[in-house]
Formats: sequence, C-alpha cells, structure tokens
Amino acid sequence: MARPGNKIIQAKLVLLGDMGTGKTSLVLRFIKGQFYDHQEPTIGAAFFTQILSLTEATVKFDIWDTAGQERYHSLAPMYYRGAAAAVVVYDISSTDTFNRAKKWVQELHRQGNQNLVMALVGNKSDLNSHREVEAEEAEQFAQESGMFYMETSAKTAQNINELFYEIAKRLARISPPRSSGITLNHETPDKRRRFCCIG
Amino acid sequence: MERRRIDDYEPGPVPSPRAVDKFGFVKQEQTGSPEGAIKSRMTLKEWSKSVSTLLINLYNFLFAVDINIFREERRVRKWRKMIGVGGSDWKHYVRRRPQVVKRRVRKGIPDCLRGLVWQLISGSRDLLLMNPGVYERHGPGQRSLYNVLKAYSVYDRDVGYVQGMGFLAGLLLLYMSEEDAFWLMVALLKGAVHAPMEGLYQVGLPLVQQYLFQFDHLVREHLPKLGEHFTKEMINPSMYASQWFITVFSYSFPFHLALRIWDVFLFEGVKIVFKVGLALLKYCHDDLVKLPFEKLIHALRNFPEHAMDPDTLLPMAYSIKVSRRLEELKHEYERKNEKSVQSVESNGKELQ
Repeated sequence: MARPGNKIIQAKLVLLGDMGTGKTSLVLRFIKGQFYDHQEPTIGAAFFTQILSLTEATVKFDIWDTAGQERYHSLAPMYYRGAAAAVVVYDISSTDTFNRAKKWVQELHRQGNQNLVMALVGNKSDLNSHREVEAEEAEQFAQESGMFYMETSAKTAQNINELFYEIAKRLARISPPRSSGITLNHETPDKRRRFCCIG
Repeated sequence: MERRRIDDYEPGPVPSPRAVDKFGFVKQEQTGSPEGAIKSRMTLKEWSKSVSTLLINLYNFLFAVDINIFREERRVRKWRKMIGVGGSDWKHYVRRRPQVVKRRVRKGIPDCLRGLVWQLISGSRDLLLMNPGVYERHGPGQRSLYNVLKAYSVYDRDVGYVQGMGFLAGLLLLYMSEEDAFWLMVALLKGAVHAPMEGLYQVGLPLVQQYLFQFDHLVREHLPKLGEHFTKEMINPSMYASQWFITVFSYSFPFHLALRIWDVFLFEGVKIVFKVGLALLKYCHDDLVKLPFEKLIHALRNFPEHAMDPDTLLPMAYSIKVSRRLEELKHEYERKNEKSVQSVESNGKELQ
C-alpha cells in the first residue's frame, strides 16, 4: 500500500453535526460501501479506521463519528481535540441543521488550530426536491470560514470518496512534522499525541 | 442395530442450521467454519460414523435438557413463592431474607417472571399504584416505543427525550406493557429505589462524566498494568464506556447478556455496570495490554463472543468489589468539580 519513500500520515478526523444529518451513514458508505435506510442513532461516539493511498502520501484516518443530539455536546471536545481534520455535516433539506453546523464551525474556530482541515458537507443531496439550504449560501459560508464545501449523498454514494480524497490531499499538502493529530512515519510511536492530557 | 439403520440411510441434504434462540433471535452463524467444505468429500463410512456420534450427542443433550427443565421448573416455583400473587409477598420476603433474594437475582431471574420482578425491584410497581391515570393522560397512541418515550419526555420536560433512552425503553417493552415500562423509566430516572439516573441524560451529561471519572480510577486500581497501557496509548473511558453507562449495556451488547445485567442492575443499582465493565477488561486483559491505539479501541468496542458469556462474565463481575471506592471517588469528583466550576469561564474548557 505505501510505496517506498512515500510518507505515511496518521490523521485523526472527527465528524460533527446535528442528529440525523447522516454522519454515520457517510462513514459507513466510505468504509464499507454500504447504506442503511434506518441507521440507528450513535450513542457517545463510534470509531473507525480507513487508509487512503494518494500518489504523494498514504493517509491513515482515525475517524471519530460523534453523536449528533445537542444533549451529547459535552462529550464532543474529547473527540475533536487534537484532530487534524473535521467534517461538519448538515442536511440540505433542513435549515436547522445548517444553523447547527455554523455553531460547530464557530466552536472549532475557538480551538485555534490553524492547521485543522475543515470541510462543510451538505449531505442528502438526493433530497434536492426538498432542499432548504441553497448551495451558494453554504459555499459562501464555507469560504468565509476557511473550509472547503461539498454536497454529498451517503444514499447514492455521490461525492463520498471525493470528500475523503480531498481531505487526504489537503492533509498531505500541509503535513507539518509536528502538528497535533498528524504523525509522520519518522516520528517515534510514543510521540503520537491524539488527545491532550485529560484530568 | 442403530448403526445398521444409519448405514441404510441415504445421506440427504443437511437441514439448515439457522436456529433461533429462546428469545426468537436468529443465531449468528459461525464464520469461517470449515465443515461445509469437508462434508462433500466424506466417504459413506465416515459419514455414518459421524452421524452415530451425533445421535449419541443428541441423546446426551436431550437428557441434559431434561434435567435443566426440571431445575428451571424448581427455580420458577421458588421465585413464585417468593413473589406471591401479583407481587403481594415480595416486600415481605426482601425484608426478611435479602441475601436469598440477592443470590437468586444474581443467578438470573426466570424469563417468565422477569417483567414483573423488574417492576417489583425497581419500585416502579408502587409508583404505578400511587399514580393511577397519570400515564394515560399523555400517550397519544402510536407505536409503543414512541409512546413511552414521548410520555416520559412530557412527564419530565427538563430531561425530555435523549437518544439512548430508546434502548432502555425498548428492552423494557419486551417484558411489560407501555404503562409499566413508562413507570419503570420513571423509577430509574427519578430514583425510586436507587440513586436517580436522570443525570445521565441532563444537559452536560453530569452523571456520565462522574461515572467515567470513577471508572477510570477503578481501572487503574484494579488493573494497573492495563491502566498504564491506556495512558500510554491515550485511551480514556469516554472512548469506549460512555454507552455502557448511558444505556446500561443495552446498546451493542448481546441481548441475553444485557438481560442478565439488568436483573442485577435493577436490584443492586448502577455498581453492576462498573463491575461488568471491569470484568470485561479483566477477562481480556492479556490481549488488551498488547494492542496499539487503533486495535485497542476496536477491541474495547467489540469484545469477543466468549468474553460475553453471562455465566463466565457475571461471576467474575460479582467478585470485584467496588462499593466503597465508588463512594469515595464520587466525593473526590464532587470536590474536584466544585473547584473547577469556580474557575471555568465558559471558554470551552469545561472538560479539563
């Protein structure tokens, strides 16, 4: 998988967004190529890994898929702290979820990680006939917030691989030797710091 | 003579082994079993030999089942005596012989009596009797689960509906009516018998945070080597144990294990969740201490089938003593929290 001389990037990625926007479905489509009409709610958070090979690097994702309900908010810092990439998801057929996404973006900005790769994702693009959030509005918000924007559908698989490839590419481009959440293969394993010390 | 009959027998297609367990769930098929591949290449002689072994096994099995049925019936009779008609003798029995009740609960409540016993030991039966008609006022009447959760969120607007409650309500509804399940939820969350659980679902999930703090310390005290390994790999309990507490093992654990845990949970309270959690870690200890971060997380979220056998796991859990330390750690957590509440300035660092 990794070519000789090709750098390996280990990156923590977190998915944030309102409940029912399709965070878990996005990940399951990406990792297993599957989609369930009735995906059960995530309690706490779920963890997945996936490897993407680019020409310039091999990216190993540690993916934290968080619970979306507002009540679980207090657990979220545990998962986004020290992340190299964040995917903020909303549902294009619900303005409420877009507003919630904006709040997540603000919260991430407050963390002050300059190198964080951030994606704004309008999921459920297959529900275009019920659209409440215009692509232009989301695109503009993403630009102002230093994120890239994409519309996806976990149901039809539209743009799912593209999303994670784009994140991988951006991680490869910045991949500084000592950014939290990213590990290069020349570092010793003990130096991996995915979470800052708690308690 | 049995042998001859078998020799004459034409080997036909083997019936599908897709059996269901006593709860009606389809049993998971063993993956990677080589039997299917070998079967077609067996000679007739080998085949008949294996069939006769099978028959002997079947005989032994039926004999064992017979004894088990007899034991089970005796057990149910004891329980019925203990409960009395509609639960009339229960309180009296618990007061007189609490140790006997405890021992019997720990052996598992007979499935046919589980629904009633859960209501008796959680105290929800009393709540129902004291509050006639309160439940009907709220249920708009569609699906049971929706009704119970809706009723609860209306009954307790501060807590409302939180994802995770559904797993509790779902488990209860398998054994009792909507109204009974509703009151059992009330009994648990408001604390009819044990400490209230509503803090698991309130804003900020204060009780989840406290339990995770306590569990983290218990892991380090009971399994120091694993605790050190967790520190090295930057693993903390919120990464694997928050669902254990939020849903009392009713999320992503085998159903038959969840039921056995619930028997004890309702009678003894939340400490069984700590005990079972520690027992799981202890059982898998030697594997876990070898694993790096990603594999460790995966292992902590997917325990092997044999680790989740109630008859192995629960005795191990019962042998772990946590009550005193839980109490001490609770006070420690409260002291720590009082301090940090004074110093935190809502700058997103409330979890420090």
